[in-house]
Amino acid sequence: MTLRYLVQPLWLLLLWLMLWGSVSAVVLIGGLAVVIAVRAAFRMPAVDLRVTLRPLRLIGLFWHLLIQLVSSATSVAWAAIRHGGHVPAAVMEVPLEEDSDVIIAATVFFTAMSPGSLVLEIDRERRVLYVHGLPAGTRAEAERRRRSVRQAERATVSALKEAPKEAPK
Amino acid sequence: MTALTNVVSSVLMLVGALFCLLAGVGVLRFPDAICRLHAAAKAQTLGVVLILLGTELQVSVKFAWALLLVAVFQLITVPVTGQVVGRTAYRTGEIYRPGLVMDELADRLAADARRESGEPAEPREDAQERGNG
Repeated sequence: MTLRYLVQPLWLLLLWLMLWGSVSAVVLIGGLAVVIAVRAAFRMPAVDLRVTLRPLRLIGLFWHLLIQLVSSATSVAWAAIRHGGHVPAAVMEVPLEEDSDVIIAATVFFTAMSPGSLVLEIDRERRVLYVHGLPAGTRAEAERRRRSVRQAERATVSALKEAPKEAPK
Repeated sequence: MTALTNVVSSVLMLVGALFCLLAGVGVLRFPDAICRLHAAAKAQTLGVVLILLGTELQVSVKFAWALLLVAVFQLITVPVTGQVVGRTAYRTGEIYRPGLVMDELADRLAADARRESGEPAEPREDAQERGNG
């Protein structure tokens, strides 16, 4: 409970220290003042963090993310040279299985990083993503992209598992 | 050691610059805003991250932290801009339809519009079976 309230201020303080690149009394106290001021000026809604972090899998996920970034940059660069103005694209509907803000946001993030896909529209109520795939010359290729988005969702779920909802009182 | 660091960081920076160049080519040649976003979101991001990595090796620790922050914020903001700009581009019709193999969002929006205008509810067709007309 307390940890949940401390995450944001601690992250802001860490950010401040990284910006200054040093830890001295002046920077630390100044940072605390700035954190308090920022918290007072911009009240953020509490994030519903009913997820369990699995650190090892999260590191694996980030490693995977970097590899994805390299391969997606290469594929889009190649498409720019090979197809240019005649690049084939597709807009696909991808239904999601999870019903959690955090997991859907993380899935959108990983989808944006994976090769050739970009999330155009998030339908939160219906739990559906609309993904723009490029290049996607055939329906089979579009289906492959659809599967890769679902795979991104599964990988996210395996790293951030949602805790079971509290039983009704 | 310094020679090795120099070689590694120049390779990183040159490859990064190449990706930025290719992203520029993509932005010039792709037919619509959303395809251009792909180039800006992926090739450009990787280019910037590689250039930052190359720079990391050359600067003192004090500045290395700030460069790391630049890379992190680059990575976490790209999906957000991609989605916001992409959504706006799609909704304002800035999309090159002849290049689309299929468009299931158009099917969904059409179905929603039909329902809102109160027309007789027709059974929802399977979006996957229909072409983009």
